[in-house]
Amino acid sequence: MFPGATADREDANFVVVGAPLDASTTFEPGTRFGPRRIRTFAETFDDYDVRTGQYFTELGVHDEGDVYAWDDVTAYLEFLEGTLRDVVWDDAVPLAIGGEHTISAAGVRAVEPEVFVCLDAHLDLRDAYDGNPQSHACVTRRILEEESVEEAIVLGARTGSEEEWERAAEADVTVVPPEEVADFSFGDRLEDREGYLSVDIDGADPAYAPGTGTMEPFGLEPREMRDVVREVAPHATGFDVVEVNDRDDGQAASLAGKLLREFVFSHADAR
Amino acid sequence: MAKQQKEVRDLQEGGYVVIDDAACKINAYSTAKPGKHGSAKARIEARGVFDDKKRSLSQPVDAKIWVPIIERKQGQVVSVSGDDMQVMDLETYETLTMRIPEDVDVEPDDNIEYLEMEGQRKIV
Repeated sequence: MFPGATADREDANFVVVGAPLDASTTFEPGTRFGPRRIRTFAETFDDYDVRTGQYFTELGVHDEGDVYAWDDVTAYLEFLEGTLRDVVWDDAVPLAIGGEHTISAAGVRAVEPEVFVCLDAHLDLRDAYDGNPQSHACVTRRILEEESVEEAIVLGARTGSEEEWERAAEADVTVVPPEEVADFSFGDRLEDREGYLSVDIDGADPAYAPGTGTMEPFGLEPREMRDVVREVAPHATGFDVVEVNDRDDGQAASLAGKLLREFVFSHADAR
Repeated sequence: MAKQQKEVRDLQEGGYVVIDDAACKINAYSTAKPGKHGSAKARIEARGVFDDKKRSLSQPVDAKIWVPIIERKQGQVVSVSGDDMQVMDLETYETLTMRIPEDVDVEPDDNIEYLEMEGQRKIV
């Protein structure tokens, strides 16, 4: 159980769902251990949030456990999407913890947002990687193909293939490089629109989150990521944090768990 | 409600199932693999046949579940009066009154197909 996720399902405002998919990780694997690591390293956090004056245990967070992952990614995403849609139908906010970034496609299909906001080192705009359109390197492209999604805003991106940068130049994609994230303003782009927030932990500089499969230097500061989460959370009806693996001493998982809690506190505070 | 018992694994998209005491038509069926320590689960997404409400359930594939017995019948429109129509059942020649759905346009002598379960009817 995610620490503090003590609510019963029927009373929940937020539902944590583990999605330990580890099928297309392209360098170092281990995202299958992500949900477990994130739950473990969230144990040290205090229940009380001084900024908002709220207790995590009073915000109606339920942990549904993991949706066991297998190697048929299409079938897995379909089942995961259904599990997350049940959360949406219960008027709660799904909080998916990965697992590789591919799982965001299931979250977006369940929530059907208009704006996809993503913290990520990578553009993830390939049409296919090694011939696989379901690869974690293609997830933002797949999400842009969803009917409800009008645009993607990718913060912290600093690498991609030439094909990806060409796709990123189109009107429905905004890329904010790491050095511009702190001063970036969403303006009114989130007003009266439904958002989905995805945090790929490799958006952080590898110094802060080495436990991830494709580290990319010159990344975001944790406080910059935190501020983005705080700003987007009130407008987001779905959230995930992905790409945490077990190849560090808990730094990546700790940051992931903290950002999930920041999302919950900020979303609840804005109600 | 007239119903029969099946296992969740026997259900399929396009078929019917009882969820929350309501007859529903299944529009999505997905299964999760069990791994070494779990049991295979199925998730069903369905819509109420007579109330159009979306419902879902998630259960092990070997769980028992009720399937409603819904009859598919043929009828002929005898007359139309406001939002209602008189329909003659082409099997029993019984005449019954049915509400005309908003998205359906009918005229006398039209042949229609409808679902019937315990006095509830819906044009298909």
